[in-house]
Amino acid sequence: MNAPEPNPFTKKRDRIQILGLNRESMLKYFFGGNASLAIVVLSLICIFLAKEALQFFPSHHRGLQLYRLSGQEFVDYLEDESRQHKKAAGYLARAYYGEINASSKREQGLLVAYEELSERLERETSKEALLFNTTFENLLDLQFEIEDSESEEDGAESFDIEAAKAEVTALTTRLEERRRTLRERKTDALKDPGMRELDSPISLSETEFQNIAEAIITTDPDAEDDAPHIQELNRTIDDKKAAAEAEYQDLFTQLEAFRAAGRPLDELIGPLRDHARTTKERAVAAETLRKGKEALLAGAENARDPERRAEFLADAEAIELEEVPYDELNQIFYDNIDAHHAVTSQMMRDLEQLGSQVVASGQTTIAQTNLSRFREELPELLTMLGETNDKLKAWRHDTPFPFLPSVLAFFTGKDWVTNSSWHDFYGFLPLFTGSILISLIALIVTVPFSVGAAIYVNQIAGWREQNLIKPVVEFIQAIPSIVLGFFGIAVLGTTLREVSQLEWLAWVPGFPMQERLNVLNAGLLLAFMAIPTVFTLAEDALNNVPRSFTEGSLALGATKVQTILRIVVPGALSGIIAAILLGFGRIIGETMVVLLVAGGSISLPDFSEGIGVITQPVHTMTGIIAQETGEVDQGSIHYRALFLLGMVLFSISLLINYSAQKIVFKYQLAR
Amino acid sequence: MAVPEHPFATKATALHKQESAIRVFLRAATYFILCCAAFIFLDIFLKGAPVVFQANFPFVNFDFLTKSPETLVVYQDGEGEIQQQSANQFEAMREAHPDGQYDIIGSYSYSAGGVLGPLIGTAFLVMICMTVALSIGVASAIFLSEYSRGGRTIRGIRLAILNLAGVPSIVFGLFGLGFFCYAVPNIVAEPAGRSLFHFQLPFSNSYLSLEGWDACMLAGGCTLALMILPVIITACEESLRAVPMGFREGSLALGATKWQTIRKAVLPYAFPGILTASILGITRVAGETAPIMFTAAVAHKDKLPWQDLESSGLGRLFEFFFQKVQALPYHIYTVAAKIPQSDYNKPMQYGSVFIFMMLVFAFASFSILLRIQFRKKLKW
Repeated sequence: MNAPEPNPFTKKRDRIQILGLNRESMLKYFFGGNASLAIVVLSLICIFLAKEALQFFPSHHRGLQLYRLSGQEFVDYLEDESRQHKKAAGYLARAYYGEINASSKREQGLLVAYEELSERLERETSKEALLFNTTFENLLDLQFEIEDSESEEDGAESFDIEAAKAEVTALTTRLEERRRTLRERKTDALKDPGMRELDSPISLSETEFQNIAEAIITTDPDAEDDAPHIQELNRTIDDKKAAAEAEYQDLFTQLEAFRAAGRPLDELIGPLRDHARTTKERAVAAETLRKGKEALLAGAENARDPERRAEFLADAEAIELEEVPYDELNQIFYDNIDAHHAVTSQMMRDLEQLGSQVVASGQTTIAQTNLSRFREELPELLTMLGETNDKLKAWRHDTPFPFLPSVLAFFTGKDWVTNSSWHDFYGFLPLFTGSILISLIALIVTVPFSVGAAIYVNQIAGWREQNLIKPVVEFIQAIPSIVLGFFGIAVLGTTLREVSQLEWLAWVPGFPMQERLNVLNAGLLLAFMAIPTVFTLAEDALNNVPRSFTEGSLALGATKVQTILRIVVPGALSGIIAAILLGFGRIIGETMVVLLVAGGSISLPDFSEGIGVITQPVHTMTGIIAQETGEVDQGSIHYRALFLLGMVLFSISLLINYSAQKIVFKYQLAR
Repeated sequence: MAVPEHPFATKATALHKQESAIRVFLRAATYFILCCAAFIFLDIFLKGAPVVFQANFPFVNFDFLTKSPETLVVYQDGEGEIQQQSANQFEAMREAHPDGQYDIIGSYSYSAGGVLGPLIGTAFLVMICMTVALSIGVASAIFLSEYSRGGRTIRGIRLAILNLAGVPSIVFGLFGLGFFCYAVPNIVAEPAGRSLFHFQLPFSNSYLSLEGWDACMLAGGCTLALMILPVIITACEESLRAVPMGFREGSLALGATKWQTIRKAVLPYAFPGILTASILGITRVAGETAPIMFTAAVAHKDKLPWQDLESSGLGRLFEFFFQKVQALPYHIYTVAAKIPQSDYNKPMQYGSVFIFMMLVFAFASFSILLRIQFRKKLKW
């Protein structure tokens, strides 16, 4: 009999089943698992950043405790006074030397030009100069040998003086010949018009250039003195300076008196500072010992081998812990408060008197600006001197440093000083300011261009233009940031500085620039970098405005531009703002460009010049992470501080993303 | 007699002037961007091409492509000519002619030789990165486009992807350092002090320890992979969604299972999109410096990654992946910012930047061309 036919419609069960899952559902969970990796990664980033970053605060707090306990805080109060005094003295000195140097500005400029030109010529004529020098040295050697053999009268047999003398004559002729060639070569090189374009601050007249050129040509490598023209220049400078010094004798005496007034304070600080440093070193050493002992004890607990354990225990026993006697050590600070009071009150009297004597205004601009700055700094110094003594009286080394202010000390700190022999400060402000300054510049530059281009491409350009512009923007996106950073160093920095030195641009704040690498340079590059992001997103937003809006507007008789400005752009505004925000996120997180181009100076930029601050060098959060992370030990406070910066960056980027999404979602056009 | 005014002539009113002014402004903004881009390309091309190409046969400076970076020695020889040579050649020459006169003017690290080491390193980093990123990315995209039906989890995943895309690359670098270099499981002979947790593996002397891989090729590649992941997922999902619904419905109606449908009726048609996306991804990853600075890159290395491996068998593979590598962007960073600048570094700087740009653009144009090609071919 035939076996009963199986029902053709029964569903075959999957043979493979694990945990009640067949192949299909296993695949589904596999894919789902992969997708949820995004969440996992995001949370891992959170965890690993937070793990290190949050540990920063306790270590930072401990550091500040020690800073107070060891008396470094006390010394820094005094140092602040001294620093302020030196700052004021510096302005006064700059005013004085400004006046002195102004008297011989022209001559000094000529000297600078002379040095620059001769350096350049040296490079041009290095070959001839080398030949000349070789001959010259040979000649000297030979002459020396002849003298030698002449003095040793008896041993002259092996040395043929006559032949040597003939050789000397030959060499002298050759030397003269080479001297001529060298001079000719120099004259030729000087004919190159490029030689007249000097970096020196003054422009030379024809006679001045000829005089300098003459001096350079006649100064051979074997010359012992400068050419007469240069000597004369130096003499003139000295004369003029002497005259100016006589004229500004009063200012000089005041400057000296001002400096002298601060000396007792410095003398007071010196030993105190050494004392505080020793205390700190002692404390650190004691702490290291304690940790070593703890580690040994822990090792003993874990050791399975009884012998090893005994060894560990013995080692731990051998370590004698030292209690640092802070009360005793800090007594010296309390004892010196009165001395400090005496010093500062004397200083205040002296300075007040001096301040009233100093002339109100100088003759040159340098002197004027510096004198006015001096006048600003002096009252500040006087108040500081008056207040510090109260601060010192209130200071107690054993008041514990509260935790919250130690957290605030990070966020409001103005110094980022690491690897110092005094105390490491971790202040967030200079880095944050740098990042924000650069981002603002970049944003201000990039928005008109990229949004303008997006409007143009989306609304006005024909398809041919679109097909040209869009791929170029994609190419810009593909440019690696390190390449742009390199471009900033190699090309843009120099170009910007040259442009800033043009005389008719002197009205621009911050021009001429002191530094090649600065906020403006980095900002411009980042603006270029952010173009693709902002452009693409803004164009998408414009694309999403319904066609009927445009058509309706045009049908009512509005012109193309009216339609664009009144209908399309407002309709896409939420998207455009989101695009700008995301561009901002891209800019503030960018690392390599700012690391290479921002200038790398970790101090708060000087805002006194107003908008001119954009030509100063800064450092940024991203830059400092990139620069320092490679060199720190894992788990050190510095390492944790860098992770904290990373955490701040991460939060900023999340915040920006979140608000961009909110804006898009909230102001979406109703379809 | 005055010529009568044409009644329909449009008058140049203020409105018209404003109109054309705005048009001109928009156009100027656009073309200014193009000019900037052109200027940067031209500058790099004009200064970089002479380093890589030369006027006489064989027209390409092969030394630059087949040597690793070396120290450059600049000296003045007996005849007063200034010569440049790499440190190795200089030593060899000095041994051959010991009595010649050499006045060394200066020596510049990483400025002689070529860029082979960095090129190879970057290639390996990119390969590791793309392998990891594509396998996770495609799978995630399949889930998001084919399986997901909305809901809280999916919203969470999308939000995470979106936010991940905005995280700065230096933060990925820090994370890679903290996670891949210092925290992931590794098998070691002796657990390091930083190990978070460790235990001895059964039947062996090794420990499994959560102490990370240290800075190495694998850590760098994985860090890059996580960074590029959101881009890959988004692009893959888009190309999967672009496949018409009808393909899936047809396949399912013929009795295929879901997986069969995805494999036979969806993935092949989404493949071109995935390909272009991953090529664009390569250009982005290759250019990143910040994530690999502390997770993988090293400035100086004599040997290529596969040379002089000491272990054998499986250990060889481990040793290969657990070594630091040179990378082209890091090399550019070194020669552009970490060593003292002089005219003698310039060829190396511009040469490396030129090669790098050429590679990146080759990949970018390839992906753009592919996209145009596939758009023409696949029409539904």
